[in-house]
Amino acid sequence: MIFLTLEHILTHISFSVVSIVIIIHFLTLLVNEFVGLYDSSEKGMLTTFFCLTGLLITRWIYSGHLPISDLYESLIFLSWIFSIIHMVPYFKKHKNYLSTITAPSTFFTQGFATWGLLTDMHQSKILVPALQSQWLIMHVSMMVSGYAALLCGSLLSAALLVITFRKVIRIVGKNNNLLNDSFPVDEIQYMMEKKSIFKNTFFPSSRNYYRFQLIQQLDHWGFRILSIGFLFLTIGILSGAVWANEAWGSYWNWDPKETWAFITWTIFAIYFHTRTNKNLEGLNSAIVASIGFLIIWICYFGVNLLGIGLHSYGSFTLISN
Amino acid sequence: MDILNPTKPLSSSLFNTHFRRPTLLLNSKILKLKPQTHTLYSNNNKRSRLSVTIVTCSKLKTSKEIKEKDKNASGKILLSNSAPPVLSEESGGGGGNGEKVPVKTGTGALGFLKRLPRKVLAVLSNLPLAIGEMFSIAVLMALGTLIDQGEAPEFYFQKFPEENPLLGFFTWKWVLTLGFDHMYSSPVFLGMLALLGVSLMACTYTTQIPLAKVARRWNYLHSADAIRKQEFSDNLPKASVQDLGVILMGAGYEVFLKGPSLYAFKGLAGRFSPIGVHLAMLLIMGGATLSATGSFRGSVTVPQGLNFVVGDVLGPSGFLSTPTEAFNTEVHVNRFYMDYYDGGDIKQFHTDLSLFDLNGKEVMRKTISVNDPLRYGGITMYQTDWSISALQVRKDDEGPFNLAMAPLKISGDNKLYGTFLPVGDVNSPNVKGISMLARDLQSIVLYDQEGKFVGVRRPNSKLPIDIDGMQIIIEDAIGSSGLELKTDPGVPVVYAGFGALMLTTCLSYLSHSQLIANVCVHFVSYSGKSKIWALQDGTAVIVGGKTNRAKAEFQYEINLLLDKVPEIVESSLSKQSDVASG
Repeated sequence: MIFLTLEHILTHISFSVVSIVIIIHFLTLLVNEFVGLYDSSEKGMLTTFFCLTGLLITRWIYSGHLPISDLYESLIFLSWIFSIIHMVPYFKKHKNYLSTITAPSTFFTQGFATWGLLTDMHQSKILVPALQSQWLIMHVSMMVSGYAALLCGSLLSAALLVITFRKVIRIVGKNNNLLNDSFPVDEIQYMMEKKSIFKNTFFPSSRNYYRFQLIQQLDHWGFRILSIGFLFLTIGILSGAVWANEAWGSYWNWDPKETWAFITWTIFAIYFHTRTNKNLEGLNSAIVASIGFLIIWICYFGVNLLGIGLHSYGSFTLISN
Repeated sequence: MDILNPTKPLSSSLFNTHFRRPTLLLNSKILKLKPQTHTLYSNNNKRSRLSVTIVTCSKLKTSKEIKEKDKNASGKILLSNSAPPVLSEESGGGGGNGEKVPVKTGTGALGFLKRLPRKVLAVLSNLPLAIGEMFSIAVLMALGTLIDQGEAPEFYFQKFPEENPLLGFFTWKWVLTLGFDHMYSSPVFLGMLALLGVSLMACTYTTQIPLAKVARRWNYLHSADAIRKQEFSDNLPKASVQDLGVILMGAGYEVFLKGPSLYAFKGLAGRFSPIGVHLAMLLIMGGATLSATGSFRGSVTVPQGLNFVVGDVLGPSGFLSTPTEAFNTEVHVNRFYMDYYDGGDIKQFHTDLSLFDLNGKEVMRKTISVNDPLRYGGITMYQTDWSISALQVRKDDEGPFNLAMAPLKISGDNKLYGTFLPVGDVNSPNVKGISMLARDLQSIVLYDQEGKFVGVRRPNSKLPIDIDGMQIIIEDAIGSSGLELKTDPGVPVVYAGFGALMLTTCLSYLSHSQLIANVCVHFVSYSGKSKIWALQDGTAVIVGGKTNRAKAEFQYEINLLLDKVPEIVESSLSKQSDVASG
């Protein structure tokens, strides 16, 4: 009982703190001068992180197994990973745009976990025989970490797309006015890439320079976070395959969840390949990563929603029995 | 270059100047030209295809000469255009330039045939093609999860009717002709996978390995002008290249110093690991093929106390499946039992198995459970399922009788088994009796002749229950163990591939993140390479550098590094100039 109360308290603290953090983030977006507020929002995320850690540990102690065996727990775990991703650059004293992605992500996953359809799932359940393995920790934690990192990265790429498209539209308009000559989008991209920024004569205004830098930063951070997510996803899928060879009789069963994880992997493999190709880099890789965002959600959520396949543990189904 | 070489071998430094510089220029040209070579590539493909169609259309021998001319023309264009990626492999290798010339002049039918595999390779290693393959594989897999797999044709007639096609065209005809009812073994899907495998090989062979080779080549720049022409250049007055070298080494560069010249690069590990990733993928694909063609599978439900022979259960899955000695092993199920949680739910189920060889000798004994299979002689036995086979019942001290249990259909995932003990005249048409139901081996629910609930008994409790004057004792509930057996020669290969993939993915991440702390150097194949040249020019050092990615960050990094280079005070200047001249 004490555990349940504790869990309740921790859930509510973390959720309210993260809501406040979101509000602070929006305030700092509107008004740039609140440096102190920015710092307090970082402290808020730290509090959220500790609350979520406490929540997970409590659940672990009273359920006796790692608390990632059903959807509710994995959502909490997901928001915990988001808060970790948020913390890491903070400790390295890097201020970057990742925090604008991670904080709302934490908020939404946690909000969904605590408020959404899942109220009847809050009680921790027993583990079915197939889940009683050491591989559970490795496989699920790696998969969820991978999802979290990939979601962050693909959101950054989507942000890049939004900013780029706005920029391109504006520049094309400018060109029409000045030169009476419109450039295809790709060509402008290409020129942007090709010219060194410091010798940049094509876009002389400082505003465009900052935009360019922002895009470069988004691209860079998106790539970093996606590559770590890809690493986690690879390890997660492979450990899952080894586990399946212990429990289900084959390392690959073409189970829907498995298949979608592989589709996710393929999509992000395409992302890394498009990035290396100079013709395709920039916009195209960002488009691929944004597609990846949808694919991850289908993989993480959609497959369980249908309740098909071997992976349908601890999820809710839309069709009640 | 070939003419120049013999005239200049007197001093080694001079030799270097003239020998190394052109190769370097070539390299830089290749890097700069990349965006354009692509378009040329696609032209090539079209052209080569065109020439092939011409060949096939004009089979008449009279047109042979025209044909040859055609080939010549197309061959020349092809060579000059498609050369850069392939040449990068040869041109710097020293003797490679000598080979290049005869190839160009000797374009005939033979030459065309010789170059055909290379052209095929070039097409296959084309990155957009590989991306297209990956994308279509992803789409096919997604389709495979959306369309129900392995159903009877009638199911698809109903689900994808011709009157009301999905998206206006998708009917059961598509599903059945393309084999989408068994997507993951359909020729379309397997063909796509095979194509991707071939592309992987081609890419590794034609692009990745040569680039890794290029990366290792040392090329110094010996003139200050050449260095100043680099994307990034700077002039450090009062500095020494040695100091710069040390600083660059500290920043993770491979540094090569020769006299006044310095050459440094990084990004090499990031180049080898993608090769490893590709090889690991190929290993996994090979292992999976071996699994698909050379394995045996089978499942069996064995009541406790009975035997079966491994070979009777296993069925081959492909043409490479060959039975082994171990197939003669006889398996005896000693005991089947379950563990329960406090709440009564099933926690785990176990089977105690003994294996006997042909002579009846016990060769192995193990209790298996879900997640803990038995492995013997290449055969793996998994605990996958369970059921209840019989109840041992005593009626008024008669028996014990073995009553067979039958599975009853209920909604949901729970299992329910039931049996019936007839009372009175067994041969009468409407015989009545006692019904017994069980969800697991833990407790049996009993109902009397009218179907009214009487009570619950645990097996082994020996506690009699009184139904209509009869004493019923449930002695035991006998479970049967659902086992799955398989042999899979592909597993070691696939596991090796898994290990390699995990290792190389980690490596490429680490190698690149270590660099990323300074320069954003990238992940896959021919990416992420930065080079720096420096030349001691009197007391000054001229530094030039270039990278193929993240130019802004590269400049930032270099500026940081150059700030660290110590300024040389007058007293040590004389020493420096010694170094420069020597």
